[in-house]
Amino acid sequence: MGAVDLTQFHKTFFEESLEGLDAMETALLALDSGSTDHELVHTIFRAAHSIKGGAATFGFADVAAFTHVAESLLEEVRSERRAVDGALIDLLLRSVDCLRAMLARSSSGQPAADAGSETLRGELLRLVSGEAAAAPGAAAPQAAAVDGWDIRFVALPHLLQTGNDPLRLFRELEQLGRLEVRRAFVLDSAPARLAELDPSQCHLGWELRLHGAIARGDVDAVFDWLDGDCELAIEALSGQARAAAAQPAPAAAPPAVAPASATAPAAPPAREATASATASAEASSIRVGIDKVDALINMMGELVITQSMLSDIGEHFDFTKLERLREGLAQLERNTRELQESVMRIRMLPIGSVFNRFPRLVRDLERKLGKQVRLELHGEHTELDKTVLEKIGDPLVHLVRNAIDHGLETPEKRRAAGKPDAGTLTLDAHHEGGNIIVRISDDGAGLNRAAIVGKAVERGLVQPGQQLSDEEVAELIFAPGFSTAAQATDLSGRGVGMDVVRRNVRDLGGSVGVKSEAGKGSVFTIALPLTLAIIDGLVTAVGEERYIVPLTSIVESLRLGAEAVRRIAGGGEVFQFRGDYLPLMRLHRAFACAGAITEVERGIVVVIEDDGRRVGLLVDDLLGQQQAVIKSLEKHYQRVQGVSGATILSDGSVALIVDVGGVVRLGQRSKAA
Amino acid sequence: MAGKRAAKQNQDERPAVPDGVAVVALPADCRLAAQAALQAELVAALERGAGVALDASAVERVDTAALQLLVLLRRELASRDGALAWRGASAAFNEAAGLLGLARILELPAAGPA
Amino acid sequence: MAKILAVDDSVSMRGMVAFTLRGAGHEVAEAENGQLALDVARGSSFDLVLADVNMPVMDGIAMVRELRAMDAYKGVPILMLTTESHTEKKMEGKAAGATGWLVKPFDPEQLLATVKRVLG
Repeated sequence: MGAVDLTQFHKTFFEESLEGLDAMETALLALDSGSTDHELVHTIFRAAHSIKGGAATFGFADVAAFTHVAESLLEEVRSERRAVDGALIDLLLRSVDCLRAMLARSSSGQPAADAGSETLRGELLRLVSGEAAAAPGAAAPQAAAVDGWDIRFVALPHLLQTGNDPLRLFRELEQLGRLEVRRAFVLDSAPARLAELDPSQCHLGWELRLHGAIARGDVDAVFDWLDGDCELAIEALSGQARAAAAQPAPAAAPPAVAPASATAPAAPPAREATASATASAEASSIRVGIDKVDALINMMGELVITQSMLSDIGEHFDFTKLERLREGLAQLERNTRELQESVMRIRMLPIGSVFNRFPRLVRDLERKLGKQVRLELHGEHTELDKTVLEKIGDPLVHLVRNAIDHGLETPEKRRAAGKPDAGTLTLDAHHEGGNIIVRISDDGAGLNRAAIVGKAVERGLVQPGQQLSDEEVAELIFAPGFSTAAQATDLSGRGVGMDVVRRNVRDLGGSVGVKSEAGKGSVFTIALPLTLAIIDGLVTAVGEERYIVPLTSIVESLRLGAEAVRRIAGGGEVFQFRGDYLPLMRLHRAFACAGAITEVERGIVVVIEDDGRRVGLLVDDLLGQQQAVIKSLEKHYQRVQGVSGATILSDGSVALIVDVGGVVRLGQRSKAA
Repeated sequence: MAGKRAAKQNQDERPAVPDGVAVVALPADCRLAAQAALQAELVAALERGAGVALDASAVERVDTAALQLLVLLRRELASRDGALAWRGASAAFNEAAGLLGLARILELPAAGPA
Repeated sequence: MAKILAVDDSVSMRGMVAFTLRGAGHEVAEAENGQLALDVARGSSFDLVLADVNMPVMDGIAMVRELRAMDAYKGVPILMLTTESHTEKKMEGKAAGATGWLVKPFDPEQLLATVKRVLG
């Protein structure tokens, strides 16, 4: 084997370092909000430490140097020699940003350090006490060469339990020069009877003589791990210590304990440091949960079984086996489809990775704008296709900036309006009607109708005096050319307007809209299509059929007595639930299922909620929870009201997925009727 | 265990074992993890009282702990006037005993430099 | 060659170590923290364990302590891979039963030299 090419690990190093920085940032923000969990400090330290180690190993010296100083500072925090305050967190957050930029430059083959990073490093350095001591001192001056060394080496009993076998030490000494064992002896500590010996305890000692002009440092290096594990006396070979002998160590000699070059792999010494970091920064990888990999492997197993069954049929085929062949082929088809779905699932990632950016963004905006924001995140586990996930980040960032910049008021204005000082910004992701819905809502001032209309008139988007509904006004902010430099502050501006947000979302096949109420706040809703998505669902039985109800929409499941259900005018049914009358929807009737339970008291009512509205679904029975891969019905069949898609259950049968939004709307309509 | 290993050896090339002398064969991997079992075998052999014959010809890996075990066996045998005999030793075993300077104490016939 | 267990939470470091050692003909098993390493160690035997110090779930020092409590790992060399040249960390590792350490950054040649040194 030749020199090991380390460039192949660079990509992984960059990826895990960025992940480490994310973790660092999250932990710093948690510390900032008053958490005293010591594990947070460990997490931050560990991340810095790993980045430093990796950077140094893979030749990114600038990154290693920067992280080294940050780590020293963190070490002081970890050992409680330094208290955490806002200023320190600010500095560390800036370090996180700086490292992200340095890694980005490194990964595209540029020098990692720049003026900014050097300034920041200086700042960190000034804060770290006693940094001067960190520079590794030059090796102690080598003692003059001698003719050899007398070594008295007596093991302490626990020596062998450190994995330091004297055999190994002696072999190392032999590499330095001719080794003579002058005496080996059994110590008094040894038990007299073999039966009483604990073999892992060492009771031996040696007097050794190592011949040759060997530097003392080289001998010491052999024993450098044994401090406290042995008694050691090393003396220059008596009477022959010719002080100032020729050279301390032959220049050509291998360093310390390098193995004989005859047996070492022929490794050319030339090693490139930062070069060849030019590997394409575009190629990306994906981290996959082991459960998804296991599912794949399981399916591969089934595929192999099917394949062997088919080849068995094929080998001795006659027409009596036609039916089995058909079954086998159907099974193959099913296996292939499942395999395909599992492979597709690998691309699904939780939206939490995008949501995680926001605590930091919100914190920065709060400081810059003098506003107070309480950020709430919901539905972080909702999974999205990796591509969608990567492209939805920027539009979301823009909407969040916009909400804080334009939506939420300053504490003074909020107080005047009778609201708490801190505005609430909520990010929520969930499945709804076969879509993934991401909502950004704030409890701020709402859209300023007059200002928007004024601006639109000014831009020539509407005629002066034109009558506009609230919806039409809201739509105006998405109109191309609406956002302008005059309107956009440096925060929500950056040359990106709502029209770009809408275009980006449309590129993903989705839509974005806004609802606003003056004085109460705004809600931006992004709907993304589910070409493929996964939900956690409750499998219910309705007659012979199976329906899956998304778990997140379920409020409660209960049994009702017949008397609890009331018929209302227009044929609808309602029942009382937590003080409200909810419409009861008999799924068997809505979907025309045969053989289902029709008496309410024999079935189960699942209360579901969408957008604050609730409906009870009557089903026969609950069969359990299952993750369901949503398959579009429209693609394979046609759109069905109240159904968002279909999935295939573990037994191979098809189940329909209840469209909670649609069903609730249906139910509300029947109640209203 | 010992019997099985000993049976694998070629009897002709080895010194004959006097009656009553227990033969203990050392395992191929003779390192610490294997030594509880080895120690029990050695102690049992010792208790029979007629001397011990060791067969180290299968040994591939050995550590200081193993050689210490044998050194203490030798010492206790001597205190009981028992004899230690060798039925063979692998190169790896001889090298280790030689390097640690224990070949002579162990009375290894073809020991390395003393 | 030898059977080696490489323990590090950093995928790149672990990858580099495993790749280098495999290239030199060793058989390498990997674990991403001390806890998982113990599971691997229990199910197999190793001639050498290389472990990072700072890891989530179970750090390298606690792992060494646990390994040394297992009969099969009493005398097995365990090297700590650490950037901390601080004496305290080394001493903590030693007290737990580590054989020695390899200070990061190290390159593949240094790694192989140290492994060779330990395996004898």
